[in-house]
Amino acid sequence: MISLDRASLRYGPILGLSPTTFELPEGGGITGLLGPNGAGKSSLLQLLSGLLPPSGGEVRVFGQAPFRNPAVLARLGLVPEGDRLPSGLRADRWLRMMGELSGLSGEALKGALAGALETVGMADRAHLTFARMSKGMRQRIRLAQALLHGPELLILDEPFNGLDPEARLGLMDLLRRLAAEGTRVLVSSHILSEIALLTDRILLLFRGRLLAEGTVTEIRQLLDRHPVELRLAGEPLDLARWAVEQPELAALRMEEGAVVLSVRSPRDILPRLQRAAAGGQLPLRALDPLDLNLDAVFQYLTKDHA
Amino acid sequence: MPIYAPTLPPAPDLGQGHPPVLVLMRFDLARLWRQRIGRFFGFAFLLVLLIKLTVIYVKYLLDTNAALRPMQDFAKAVLSQGAEFQAGLLDPASYLLWFLVALVGGGLVARDTLYRVRPLMYAHPVSPRDYLAAKLGFASALPFLVLLPFVLLPWAMSLMVAGLQGPVWPTAPLRLLPAVAVLSLLMGALAVGASAMAATPRAGVGWVLGLVLGTSALASLVHGLTGFAGAEALNPVMLAQSWPQLFAGMDRPLMGWIPATVGTAFHIGLWTFVAARRTLPSEAVI
Repeated sequence: MISLDRASLRYGPILGLSPTTFELPEGGGITGLLGPNGAGKSSLLQLLSGLLPPSGGEVRVFGQAPFRNPAVLARLGLVPEGDRLPSGLRADRWLRMMGELSGLSGEALKGALAGALETVGMADRAHLTFARMSKGMRQRIRLAQALLHGPELLILDEPFNGLDPEARLGLMDLLRRLAAEGTRVLVSSHILSEIALLTDRILLLFRGRLLAEGTVTEIRQLLDRHPVELRLAGEPLDLARWAVEQPELAALRMEEGAVVLSVRSPRDILPRLQRAAAGGQLPLRALDPLDLNLDAVFQYLTKDHA
Repeated sequence: MPIYAPTLPPAPDLGQGHPPVLVLMRFDLARLWRQRIGRFFGFAFLLVLLIKLTVIYVKYLLDTNAALRPMQDFAKAVLSQGAEFQAGLLDPASYLLWFLVALVGGGLVARDTLYRVRPLMYAHPVSPRDYLAAKLGFASALPFLVLLPFVLLPWAMSLMVAGLQGPVWPTAPLRLLPAVAVLSLLMGALAVGASAMAATPRAGVGWVLGLVLGTSALASLVHGLTGFAGAEALNPVMLAQSWPQLFAGMDRPLMGWIPATVGTAFHIGLWTFVAARRTLPSEAVI
Protein backbone atom coordinates (compact mmCIF):
# COMPACT_ATOMS: atom_id res chain seq x y z
CA MET A 1 0.00 0.00 0.00
CA ILE A 2 2.78 2.43 0.97
CA SER A 3 6.40 2.12 -0.05
CA LEU A 4 9.25 4.57 0.29
CA ASP A 5 12.54 3.92 -1.45
CA ARG A 6 15.23 6.27 -0.15
CA ALA A 7 12.65 9.07 -0.18
CA SER A 8 13.86 12.34 1.31
CA LEU A 9 12.44 15.81 1.71
CA ARG A 10 14.31 19.10 1.85
CA TYR A 11 12.98 22.55 2.72
CA GLY A 12 15.68 24.58 0.98
CA PRO A 13 18.86 23.94 2.97
CA ILE A 14 17.00 22.15 5.77
CA LEU A 15 16.63 18.39 5.61
CA GLY A 16 13.12 17.51 6.76
CA LEU A 17 13.42 13.79 6.13
CA SER A 18 16.61 11.81 5.48
CA PRO A 19 16.51 9.11 2.80
CA THR A 20 13.95 6.68 4.17
CA THR A 21 12.94 3.23 3.05
CA PHE A 22 10.01 1.21 4.38
CA GLU A 23 6.84 -0.55 3.28
CA LEU A 24 3.39 -0.87 4.75
CA PRO A 25 1.40 -3.81 3.44
CA GLU A 26 -2.14 -3.79 2.03
CA GLY A 27 -5.09 -4.23 4.36
CA GLY A 28 -6.42 -2.58 7.46
CA GLY A 29 -4.65 -1.93 10.69
CA ILE A 30 -3.23 0.95 12.64
CA THR A 31 0.36 2.07 12.36
CA GLY A 32 1.73 4.68 14.76
CA LEU A 33 4.17 7.24 13.47
CA LEU A 34 6.15 8.17 16.52
CA GLY A 35 8.79 10.77 17.15
CA PRO A 36 9.52 13.92 19.11
CA ASN A 37 8.70 17.35 17.69
CA GLY A 38 10.81 18.05 14.61
CA ALA A 39 11.46 14.37 13.98
CA GLY A 40 10.06 14.53 10.44
CA LYS A 41 6.60 13.08 11.04
CA SER A 42 4.76 15.87 9.24
CA SER A 43 7.30 15.78 6.40
CA LEU A 44 6.62 12.10 5.91
CA LEU A 45 2.87 12.68 6.00
CA GLN A 46 3.19 15.48 3.44
CA LEU A 47 4.98 13.08 1.11
CA LEU A 48 2.40 10.35 1.61
CA SER A 49 -0.59 12.62 1.18
CA GLY A 50 0.77 14.06 -2.06
CA LEU A 51 1.24 17.60 -0.82
CA LEU A 52 4.93 17.65 -1.70
CA PRO A 53 7.11 15.66 -4.08
CA PRO A 54 10.13 13.91 -2.56
CA SER A 55 13.42 15.80 -2.97
CA GLY A 56 15.05 12.45 -3.70
CA GLY A 57 14.09 8.81 -3.93
CA GLU A 58 10.62 7.51 -4.58
CA VAL A 59 7.29 7.50 -2.76
CA ARG A 60 4.53 5.15 -3.83
CA VAL A 61 1.04 4.93 -2.43
CA PHE A 62 -1.27 2.31 -3.97
CA GLY A 63 1.57 1.65 -6.41
CA GLN A 64 1.70 5.22 -7.75
CA ALA A 65 3.46 8.48 -6.92
CA PRO A 66 0.95 10.46 -4.83
CA PHE A 67 2.10 14.00 -5.67
CA ARG A 68 -0.75 15.78 -7.54
CA ASN A 69 -2.11 12.39 -8.53
CA PRO A 70 -5.94 12.39 -8.35
CA ALA A 71 -6.03 8.59 -8.67
CA VAL A 72 -4.13 8.29 -5.38
CA LEU A 73 -5.66 11.28 -3.61
CA ALA A 74 -9.17 9.94 -4.22
CA ARG A 75 -8.23 6.85 -2.19
CA LEU A 76 -6.73 8.54 0.86
CA GLY A 77 -8.10 10.77 3.59
CA LEU A 78 -6.03 13.32 5.49
CA VAL A 79 -6.68 14.87 8.90
CA PRO A 80 -3.98 17.51 9.36
CA GLU A 81 -2.83 18.81 12.70
CA GLY A 82 -4.71 21.65 14.41
CA ASP A 83 -8.36 22.41 14.83
CA ARG A 84 -8.76 25.84 13.33
CA LEU A 85 -11.84 25.94 11.17
CA PRO A 86 -13.85 28.91 9.89
CA SER A 87 -15.71 29.78 13.08
CA GLY A 88 -18.90 31.15 11.54
CA LEU A 89 -19.34 28.29 9.11
CA ARG A 90 -21.75 25.39 9.58
CA ALA A 91 -20.02 22.04 9.68
CA ASP A 92 -22.42 20.37 7.22
CA ARG A 93 -21.83 23.07 4.60
CA TRP A 94 -18.09 22.71 4.94
CA LEU A 95 -18.34 18.92 4.72
CA ARG A 96 -20.51 19.17 1.62
CA MET A 97 -17.86 21.27 -0.12
CA MET A 98 -15.13 18.80 0.86
CA GLY A 99 -17.25 15.93 -0.44
CA GLU A 100 -17.77 17.72 -3.74
CA LEU A 101 -14.02 18.33 -4.01
CA SER A 102 -13.60 14.57 -3.75
CA GLY A 103 -15.88 14.10 -6.75
CA LEU A 104 -19.12 13.26 -4.96
CA SER A 105 -22.46 14.75 -5.93
CA GLY A 106 -26.21 14.27 -5.62
CA GLU A 107 -27.43 11.21 -3.78
CA ALA A 108 -23.92 9.77 -3.47
CA LEU A 109 -22.83 12.92 -1.64
CA LYS A 110 -25.88 12.86 0.63
CA GLY A 111 -25.30 9.22 1.48
CA ALA A 112 -21.58 9.71 2.09
CA LEU A 113 -22.26 12.76 4.29
CA ALA A 114 -24.82 10.92 6.39
CA GLY A 115 -22.57 7.87 6.66
CA ALA A 116 -19.46 9.82 7.69
CA LEU A 117 -21.38 11.86 10.27
CA GLU A 118 -22.92 8.69 11.66
CA THR A 119 -19.50 7.05 11.89
CA VAL A 120 -18.01 9.92 13.89
CA GLY A 121 -21.16 10.33 16.00
CA MET A 122 -22.00 13.85 14.81
CA ALA A 123 -25.15 13.21 12.76
CA ASP A 124 -27.36 15.35 14.98
CA ARG A 125 -24.87 18.18 15.52
CA ALA A 126 -23.52 18.85 12.05
CA HIS A 127 -25.79 21.87 11.61
CA LEU A 128 -23.84 23.75 14.30
CA THR A 129 -21.24 26.34 13.40
CA PHE A 130 -17.64 25.50 14.27
CA ALA A 131 -17.65 28.28 16.85
CA ARG A 132 -20.29 26.39 18.83
CA MET A 133 -18.42 23.09 18.79
CA SER A 134 -15.98 21.72 21.33
CA LYS A 135 -12.48 20.76 20.28
CA GLY A 136 -13.43 17.08 20.26
CA MET A 137 -16.45 17.77 18.05
CA ARG A 138 -14.33 19.75 15.61
CA GLN A 139 -11.83 16.91 15.48
CA ARG A 140 -14.64 14.49 14.68
CA ILE A 141 -15.84 16.74 11.87
CA ARG A 142 -12.30 16.88 10.49
CA LEU A 143 -12.23 13.11 10.59
CA ALA A 144 -15.63 12.98 8.87
CA GLN A 145 -14.28 15.07 5.96
CA ALA A 146 -11.49 12.55 5.53
CA LEU A 147 -13.95 9.65 5.55
CA LEU A 148 -16.50 11.10 3.11
CA HIS A 149 -15.06 9.46 0.02
CA GLY A 150 -14.43 6.09 1.69
CA PRO A 151 -10.63 6.20 1.76
CA GLU A 152 -8.56 3.04 1.96
CA LEU A 153 -5.77 4.91 3.72
CA LEU A 154 -6.47 7.38 6.51
CA ILE A 155 -3.64 9.69 7.61
CA LEU A 156 -3.96 11.60 10.87
CA ASP A 157 -1.37 14.10 12.09
CA GLU A 158 -1.36 14.49 15.88
CA PRO A 159 -5.13 13.88 16.13
CA PHE A 160 -5.18 13.69 19.94
CA ASN A 161 -3.59 17.08 20.57
CA GLY A 162 -5.66 19.14 22.96
CA LEU A 163 -8.40 16.53 23.42
CA ASP A 164 -9.63 15.68 26.90
CA PRO A 165 -9.17 12.05 28.04
CA GLU A 166 -12.76 11.09 27.21
CA ALA A 167 -12.60 12.53 23.70
CA ARG A 168 -9.19 10.91 23.24
CA LEU A 169 -10.48 7.46 24.15
CA GLY A 170 -13.55 8.01 21.96
CA LEU A 171 -11.37 8.89 19.00
CA MET A 172 -9.16 5.86 19.64
CA ASP A 173 -12.21 3.59 19.64
CA LEU A 174 -13.33 5.14 16.39
CA LEU A 175 -9.94 4.58 14.76
CA ARG A 176 -9.88 0.97 15.95
CA ARG A 177 -13.33 0.46 14.47
CA LEU A 178 -12.27 1.94 11.13
CA ALA A 179 -9.18 -0.25 11.11
CA ALA A 180 -11.31 -3.30 11.87
CA GLU A 181 -13.50 -2.41 8.89
CA GLY A 182 -10.48 -2.54 6.61
CA THR A 183 -9.11 1.00 6.50
CA ARG A 184 -5.35 1.32 6.90
CA VAL A 185 -4.82 4.05 9.53
CA LEU A 186 -1.55 5.93 9.92
CA VAL A 187 -1.48 8.07 13.08
CA SER A 188 1.35 10.38 14.04
CA SER A 189 2.01 11.47 17.58
CA HIS A 190 4.83 12.56 19.81
CA ILE A 191 3.09 11.12 22.87
CA LEU A 192 4.13 7.54 23.46
CA SER A 193 1.22 6.54 25.66
CA GLU A 194 -1.29 7.48 22.96
CA ILE A 195 0.35 5.30 20.37
CA ALA A 196 0.90 2.51 22.91
CA LEU A 197 -2.84 2.49 23.65
CA LEU A 198 -3.76 2.46 19.99
CA THR A 199 -1.37 0.03 18.35
CA ASP A 200 1.94 -1.72 18.77
CA ARG A 201 3.00 -1.40 15.14
CA ILE A 202 5.13 1.70 14.89
CA LEU A 203 7.40 3.72 12.67
CA LEU A 204 9.86 5.58 14.85
CA LEU A 205 11.34 8.80 13.50
CA PHE A 206 14.06 10.87 15.11
CA ARG A 207 15.84 13.92 13.70
CA GLY A 208 14.52 13.28 10.20
CA ARG A 209 15.53 9.62 10.18
CA LEU A 210 13.50 6.46 10.39
CA LEU A 211 15.03 4.59 13.31
CA ALA A 212 12.82 1.54 13.51
CA GLU A 213 9.76 -0.10 12.00
CA GLY A 214 7.67 -3.01 13.26
CA THR A 215 5.98 -4.07 16.46
CA VAL A 216 7.39 -2.97 19.79
CA THR A 217 8.51 -6.54 20.56
CA GLU A 218 10.21 -6.92 17.18
CA ILE A 219 12.05 -3.65 17.56
CA ARG A 220 13.00 -4.39 21.15
CA GLN A 221 14.56 -7.67 20.10
CA LEU A 222 16.73 -5.87 17.61
CA LEU A 223 18.18 -3.62 20.31
CA ASP A 224 21.07 -5.94 21.18
CA ARG A 225 23.00 -3.21 22.92
CA HIS A 226 20.30 -2.93 25.54
CA PRO A 227 19.65 -6.23 27.35
CA VAL A 228 16.06 -6.69 28.51
CA GLU A 229 15.49 -6.05 32.19
CA LEU A 230 13.35 -8.61 34.05
CA ARG A 231 12.33 -8.06 37.66
CA LEU A 232 11.86 -11.37 39.48
CA ALA A 233 10.08 -11.12 42.81
CA GLY A 234 10.74 -13.91 45.35
CA GLU A 235 13.60 -15.07 47.53
CA PRO A 236 16.45 -12.91 46.17
CA LEU A 237 19.36 -15.21 46.99
CA ASP A 238 17.78 -18.30 45.43
CA LEU A 239 16.76 -16.33 42.38
CA ALA A 240 20.26 -14.86 42.02
CA ARG A 241 21.83 -18.30 42.40
CA TRP A 242 19.70 -19.63 39.53
CA ALA A 243 20.29 -16.56 37.37
CA VAL A 244 24.09 -16.57 37.46
CA GLU A 245 24.07 -20.01 35.86
CA GLN A 246 22.21 -18.75 32.81
CA PRO A 247 24.40 -17.91 29.77
CA GLU A 248 22.10 -15.03 28.65
CA LEU A 249 22.67 -13.06 31.85
CA ALA A 250 24.40 -9.72 31.27
CA ALA A 251 23.93 -8.11 34.69
CA LEU A 252 22.19 -8.69 37.98
CA ARG A 253 20.95 -6.28 40.63
CA MET A 254 19.62 -7.22 44.04
CA GLU A 255 16.61 -5.40 45.43
CA GLU A 256 14.52 -5.90 48.53
CA GLY A 257 12.46 -9.05 47.87
CA ALA A 258 13.50 -9.21 44.22
CA VAL A 259 16.32 -9.37 41.71
CA VAL A 260 16.58 -7.46 38.46
CA LEU A 261 18.21 -9.41 35.65
CA SER A 262 19.57 -7.92 32.44
CA VAL A 263 19.33 -10.66 29.81
CA ARG A 264 20.40 -10.65 26.21
CA SER A 265 17.93 -13.11 24.77
CA PRO A 266 14.69 -13.20 26.75
CA ARG A 267 13.13 -15.69 24.32
CA ASP A 268 15.68 -18.30 25.35
CA ILE A 269 15.73 -17.69 29.06
CA LEU A 270 12.00 -17.27 29.67
CA PRO A 271 10.98 -20.88 28.88
CA ARG A 272 13.71 -22.12 31.26
CA LEU A 273 12.55 -19.73 33.92
CA GLN A 274 8.98 -20.92 33.43
CA ARG A 275 10.01 -24.58 33.75
CA ALA A 276 12.11 -23.90 36.86
CA ALA A 277 9.28 -21.99 38.53
CA ALA A 278 6.73 -24.66 37.60
CA GLY A 279 9.03 -27.41 38.89
CA GLY A 280 9.35 -25.71 42.26
CA GLN A 281 13.10 -25.17 41.86
CA LEU A 282 12.70 -21.43 41.84
CA PRO A 283 10.80 -19.43 44.52
CA LEU A 284 9.28 -17.01 42.00
CA ARG A 285 6.33 -14.85 43.06
CA ALA A 286 6.16 -12.39 40.15
CA LEU A 287 7.81 -11.62 36.84
CA ASP A 288 7.81 -8.06 35.53
CA PRO A 289 9.58 -7.06 32.29
CA LEU A 290 10.80 -3.51 32.94
CA ASP A 291 11.73 -2.33 29.46
CA LEU A 292 9.67 -4.30 26.99
CA ASN A 293 7.35 -1.38 26.40
CA LEU A 294 7.19 1.38 23.85
CA ASP A 295 8.53 3.95 26.27
CA ALA A 296 11.75 2.01 26.82
CA VAL A 297 12.19 1.25 23.13
CA PHE A 298 11.77 4.91 22.32
CA GLN A 299 14.25 5.99 24.99
CA TYR A 300 16.90 3.47 23.89
CA LEU A 301 16.57 4.30 20.20
CA THR A 302 16.66 8.05 20.63
CA LYS A 303 19.57 7.88 23.10
CA ASP A 304 21.56 5.67 20.73
CA HIS A 305 21.04 8.10 17.86
CA ALA A 306 21.33 11.35 19.77
CA MET B 1 -1.34 -6.20 17.17
CA PRO B 2 -2.85 -4.52 14.14
CA ILE B 3 -6.26 -5.72 13.10
CA TYR B 4 -6.63 -6.89 9.53
CA ALA B 5 -9.95 -7.11 7.74
CA PRO B 6 -10.43 -9.00 4.50
CA THR B 7 -12.22 -6.31 2.50
CA LEU B 8 -13.28 -2.69 2.62
CA PRO B 9 -16.92 -1.63 2.29
CA PRO B 10 -17.79 -0.48 -1.24
CA ALA B 11 -16.37 2.96 -1.98
CA PRO B 12 -18.80 5.74 -2.89
CA ASP B 13 -19.21 6.70 -6.52
CA LEU B 14 -16.53 9.32 -7.18
CA GLY B 15 -15.92 11.38 -10.29
CA GLN B 16 -19.57 12.30 -10.82
CA GLY B 17 -19.39 15.79 -9.33
CA HIS B 18 -18.55 19.23 -10.67
CA PRO B 19 -15.01 20.42 -11.43
CA PRO B 20 -13.20 21.65 -8.28
CA VAL B 21 -13.00 25.20 -9.69
CA LEU B 22 -16.80 25.45 -9.81
CA VAL B 23 -17.21 23.85 -6.39
CA LEU B 24 -14.83 26.34 -4.78
CA MET B 25 -16.36 29.34 -6.56
CA ARG B 26 -19.86 28.30 -5.55
CA PHE B 27 -18.75 27.87 -1.96
CA ASP B 28 -17.26 31.39 -1.89
CA LEU B 29 -20.39 32.81 -3.49
CA ALA B 30 -22.64 31.09 -0.95
CA ARG B 31 -20.48 32.41 1.87
CA LEU B 32 -20.66 35.97 0.50
CA TRP B 33 -24.43 35.64 0.10
CA ARG B 34 -24.79 34.74 3.79
CA GLN B 35 -22.65 37.69 4.94
CA ARG B 36 -24.06 41.14 5.69
CA ILE B 37 -21.42 42.74 3.52
CA GLY B 38 -23.03 41.24 0.41
CA ARG B 39 -26.40 42.73 1.29
CA PHE B 40 -24.90 46.15 2.07
CA PHE B 41 -23.09 46.40 -1.24
CA GLY B 42 -26.11 44.99 -3.04
CA PHE B 43 -28.16 47.88 -1.67
CA ALA B 44 -25.47 50.48 -2.44
CA PHE B 45 -25.03 49.38 -6.05
CA LEU B 46 -28.78 49.09 -6.55
CA LEU B 47 -29.13 52.71 -5.47
CA VAL B 48 -26.46 53.84 -7.93
CA LEU B 49 -28.15 51.82 -10.68
CA LEU B 50 -31.52 53.42 -9.96
CA ILE B 51 -29.96 56.87 -10.26
CA LYS B 52 -28.46 55.93 -13.62
CA LEU B 53 -31.80 54.68 -14.89
CA THR B 54 -33.55 57.81 -13.62
CA VAL B 55 -31.06 60.01 -15.47
CA ILE B 56 -31.79 58.17 -18.71
CA TYR B 57 -35.53 58.51 -18.22
CA VAL B 58 -35.23 62.23 -17.43
CA LYS B 59 -33.16 62.65 -20.55
CA TYR B 60 -35.88 60.95 -22.54
CA LEU B 61 -38.53 63.22 -21.04
CA LEU B 62 -36.50 66.34 -21.79
CA ASP B 63 -36.12 65.27 -25.40
CA THR B 64 -39.75 64.39 -26.01
CA ASN B 65 -41.87 66.61 -23.77
CA ALA B 66 -42.67 69.98 -25.35
CA ALA B 67 -43.31 71.57 -21.98
CA LEU B 68 -39.68 70.93 -21.08
CA ARG B 69 -38.27 72.31 -24.36
CA PRO B 70 -36.65 75.38 -22.71
CA MET B 71 -34.51 73.05 -20.66
CA GLN B 72 -33.25 71.04 -23.62
CA ASP B 73 -30.09 73.05 -24.21
CA PHE B 74 -29.19 72.71 -20.59
CA ALA B 75 -30.01 69.00 -20.67
CA LYS B 76 -27.86 68.42 -23.75
CA ALA B 77 -24.93 70.00 -21.95
CA VAL B 78 -25.43 67.96 -18.82
CA LEU B 79 -26.60 64.70 -20.32
CA SER B 80 -24.43 64.28 -23.35
CA GLN B 81 -24.94 61.27 -25.58
CA GLY B 82 -21.31 61.05 -26.53
CA ALA B 83 -18.64 58.49 -25.70
CA GLU B 84 -18.09 60.09 -22.31
CA PHE B 85 -21.71 59.37 -21.37
CA GLN B 86 -21.36 55.74 -22.46
CA ALA B 87 -18.14 55.26 -20.50
CA GLY B 88 -19.75 57.02 -17.55
CA LEU B 89 -22.23 54.17 -17.23
CA LEU B 90 -19.39 52.29 -15.54
CA ASP B 91 -18.63 54.98 -12.99
CA PRO B 92 -19.15 52.52 -10.14
CA ALA B 93 -15.87 50.97 -11.28
CA SER B 94 -14.29 53.58 -9.08
CA TYR B 95 -13.75 53.53 -5.35
CA LEU B 96 -17.01 51.88 -4.25
CA LEU B 97 -16.27 48.81 -6.37
CA TRP B 98 -12.63 48.75 -5.28
CA PHE B 99 -13.86 48.83 -1.70
CA LEU B 100 -16.16 45.87 -2.34
CA VAL B 101 -13.37 43.93 -4.04
CA ALA B 102 -11.04 44.69 -1.10
CA LEU B 103 -13.55 43.60 1.52
CA VAL B 104 -14.56 40.40 -0.24
CA GLY B 105 -11.44 39.52 -2.19
CA GLY B 106 -9.07 40.33 0.66
CA GLY B 107 -10.28 37.31 2.59
CA LEU B 108 -10.51 34.83 -0.26
CA VAL B 109 -7.09 33.25 0.12
CA ALA B 110 -6.20 34.67 3.55
CA ARG B 111 -9.14 32.87 5.17
CA ASP B 112 -7.88 29.53 3.89
CA THR B 113 -4.40 30.42 5.12
CA LEU B 114 -5.67 31.31 8.58
CA TYR B 115 -7.72 28.13 8.95
CA ARG B 116 -5.14 25.97 7.12
CA VAL B 117 -7.72 24.68 4.71
CA ARG B 118 -5.41 24.41 1.70
CA PRO B 119 -3.57 21.25 2.87
CA LEU B 120 -6.96 19.62 3.19
CA MET B 121 -8.01 20.74 -0.27
CA TYR B 122 -4.75 19.65 -1.86
CA ALA B 123 -5.12 16.25 -0.19
CA HIS B 124 -8.29 15.90 -2.27
CA PRO B 125 -8.11 15.72 -6.06
CA VAL B 126 -7.70 19.53 -6.21
CA SER B 127 -4.58 20.97 -7.84
CA PRO B 128 -3.06 24.35 -6.95
CA ARG B 129 -4.07 25.47 -10.43
CA ASP B 130 -7.72 24.61 -9.69
CA TYR B 131 -7.51 26.52 -6.43
CA LEU B 132 -5.95 29.61 -8.01
CA ALA B 133 -8.39 29.55 -10.93
CA ALA B 134 -11.32 29.35 -8.52
CA LYS B 135 -10.11 32.27 -6.42
CA LEU B 136 -9.21 34.40 -9.44
CA GLY B 137 -12.45 33.46 -11.12
CA PHE B 138 -14.56 34.42 -8.13
CA ALA B 139 -12.66 37.66 -7.42
CA SER B 140 -13.03 38.67 -11.09
CA ALA B 141 -16.60 37.48 -11.50
CA LEU B 142 -17.72 39.63 -8.58
CA PRO B 143 -16.97 43.07 -10.14
CA PHE B 144 -18.11 41.72 -13.51
CA LEU B 145 -21.50 40.72 -12.14
CA VAL B 146 -21.86 44.00 -10.25
CA LEU B 147 -21.13 46.05 -13.38
CA LEU B 148 -23.18 43.91 -15.75
CA PRO B 149 -26.52 45.55 -14.86
CA PHE B 150 -24.92 48.98 -15.25
CA VAL B 151 -24.33 48.14 -18.89
CA LEU B 152 -27.38 46.08 -19.75
CA LEU B 153 -30.21 47.79 -17.87
CA PRO B 154 -29.58 51.38 -19.08
CA TRP B 155 -29.05 50.00 -22.57
CA ALA B 156 -32.29 48.01 -22.49
CA MET B 157 -34.23 50.90 -20.98
CA SER B 158 -32.84 53.37 -23.50
CA LEU B 159 -33.84 51.08 -26.35
CA MET B 160 -37.31 50.61 -24.91
CA VAL B 161 -38.14 54.25 -24.31
CA ALA B 162 -36.36 55.88 -27.24
CA GLY B 163 -35.26 53.17 -29.65
CA LEU B 164 -32.06 53.79 -31.61
CA GLN B 165 -32.20 57.53 -30.72
CA GLY B 166 -31.87 56.90 -26.99
CA PRO B 167 -29.04 58.28 -24.90
CA VAL B 168 -27.31 54.89 -24.68
CA TRP B 169 -25.81 53.72 -27.95
CA PRO B 170 -27.32 50.51 -29.33
CA THR B 171 -23.77 49.19 -29.62
CA ALA B 172 -22.81 50.16 -26.06
CA PRO B 173 -22.71 46.58 -24.64
CA LEU B 174 -20.32 45.54 -27.39
CA ARG B 175 -17.96 48.29 -26.30
CA LEU B 176 -18.47 48.22 -22.56
CA LEU B 177 -18.60 44.49 -21.81
CA PRO B 178 -14.99 43.88 -22.95
CA ALA B 179 -13.95 46.83 -20.80
CA VAL B 180 -15.82 45.34 -17.85
CA ALA B 181 -14.09 42.00 -18.43
CA VAL B 182 -10.61 43.56 -18.48
CA LEU B 183 -11.09 45.76 -15.43
CA SER B 184 -12.73 42.87 -13.51
CA LEU B 185 -9.74 40.69 -14.21
CA LEU B 186 -7.45 43.49 -13.05
CA MET B 187 -9.39 43.91 -9.82
CA GLY B 188 -9.63 40.17 -9.22
CA ALA B 189 -5.93 39.50 -9.78
CA LEU B 190 -4.89 42.33 -7.49
CA ALA B 191 -7.29 41.23 -4.75
CA VAL B 192 -6.21 37.58 -4.88
CA GLY B 193 -2.50 38.48 -4.98
CA ALA B 194 -2.90 40.76 -1.97
CA SER B 195 -5.00 38.21 -0.11
CA ALA B 196 -2.36 35.55 -0.73
CA MET B 197 0.19 37.70 1.09
CA ALA B 198 -2.02 38.14 4.15
CA ALA B 199 -2.34 35.79 7.11
CA THR B 200 -5.88 36.80 8.08
CA PRO B 201 -8.91 38.07 6.13
CA ARG B 202 -8.69 41.46 7.83
CA ALA B 203 -5.06 41.77 6.89
CA GLY B 204 -6.10 40.80 3.37
CA VAL B 205 -8.48 43.76 3.19
CA GLY B 206 -5.64 45.97 4.36
CA TRP B 207 -3.30 44.53 1.76
CA VAL B 208 -5.75 45.16 -1.09
CA LEU B 209 -6.47 48.72 -0.02
CA GLY B 210 -2.80 49.32 0.66
CA LEU B 211 -1.77 48.06 -2.75
CA VAL B 212 -4.47 50.04 -4.57
CA LEU B 213 -3.76 53.28 -2.74
CA GLY B 214 -0.02 52.69 -2.51
CA THR B 215 0.51 52.04 -6.22
CA SER B 216 -1.77 54.97 -7.04
CA ALA B 217 0.32 57.27 -4.84
CA LEU B 218 3.53 55.87 -6.30
CA ALA B 219 2.29 56.42 -9.84
CA SER B 220 1.34 60.03 -9.06
CA LEU B 221 4.68 60.61 -7.38
CA VAL B 222 6.68 59.27 -10.31
CA HIS B 223 4.51 61.23 -12.73
CA GLY B 224 4.98 64.40 -10.70
CA LEU B 225 8.74 64.01 -10.31
CA THR B 226 9.60 62.91 -13.82
CA GLY B 227 6.76 64.41 -15.82
CA PHE B 228 6.33 60.99 -17.49
CA ALA B 229 2.57 60.53 -17.89
CA GLY B 230 2.97 56.83 -18.68
CA ALA B 231 3.84 56.24 -15.02
CA GLU B 232 0.12 56.53 -14.30
CA ALA B 233 -0.19 53.08 -15.85
CA LEU B 234 0.91 51.80 -12.44
CA ASN B 235 -2.27 53.22 -10.93
CA PRO B 236 -4.90 50.43 -10.85
CA VAL B 237 -7.76 52.83 -10.13
CA MET B 238 -6.92 54.91 -13.16
CA LEU B 239 -6.46 51.77 -15.26
CA ALA B 240 -9.93 50.56 -14.29
CA GLN B 241 -11.42 53.92 -15.22
CA SER B 242 -9.51 54.07 -18.52
CA TRP B 243 -10.78 50.87 -20.08
CA PRO B 244 -14.44 51.94 -20.51
CA GLN B 245 -13.21 55.26 -21.94
CA LEU B 246 -10.89 53.51 -24.40
CA PHE B 247 -13.51 51.03 -25.56
CA ALA B 248 -16.17 53.75 -25.80
CA GLY B 249 -13.79 55.77 -28.00
CA MET B 250 -13.48 58.92 -25.91
CA ASP B 251 -11.36 61.67 -27.46
CA ARG B 252 -9.33 62.32 -24.34
CA PRO B 253 -9.21 59.19 -22.19
CA LEU B 254 -7.26 59.12 -18.94
CA MET B 255 -4.50 57.16 -20.70
CA GLY B 256 -3.84 55.67 -24.11
CA TRP B 257 -4.18 52.08 -25.29
CA ILE B 258 -0.50 51.23 -24.93
CA PRO B 259 0.06 52.38 -21.32
CA ALA B 260 -3.31 50.92 -20.31
CA THR B 261 -2.47 47.56 -21.89
CA VAL B 262 1.04 47.45 -20.45
CA GLY B 263 -0.09 48.57 -16.98
CA THR B 264 -2.99 46.12 -16.85
CA ALA B 265 -0.87 43.21 -18.09
CA PHE B 266 1.80 44.11 -15.52
CA HIS B 267 -0.68 44.12 -12.63
CA ILE B 268 -2.50 40.95 -13.70
CA GLY B 269 0.76 39.11 -14.33
CA LEU B 270 2.45 40.24 -11.13
CA TRP B 271 -0.43 39.53 -8.76
CA THR B 272 -1.32 36.23 -10.38
CA PHE B 273 2.31 35.19 -10.04
CA VAL B 274 2.34 36.23 -6.37
CA ALA B 275 -0.88 34.34 -5.69
CA ALA B 276 0.39 31.25 -7.50
CA ARG B 277 3.63 31.25 -5.50
CA ARG B 278 1.85 31.77 -2.21
CA THR B 279 -0.67 29.00 -2.75
CA LEU B 280 1.76 26.26 -3.68
CA PRO B 281 1.43 23.05 -1.66
CA SER B 282 4.83 23.77 -0.09
CA GLU B 283 3.29 26.92 1.42
CA ALA B 284 0.37 24.88 2.72
CA VAL B 285 2.26 23.13 5.47
CA ILE B 286 0.37 20.56 7.50
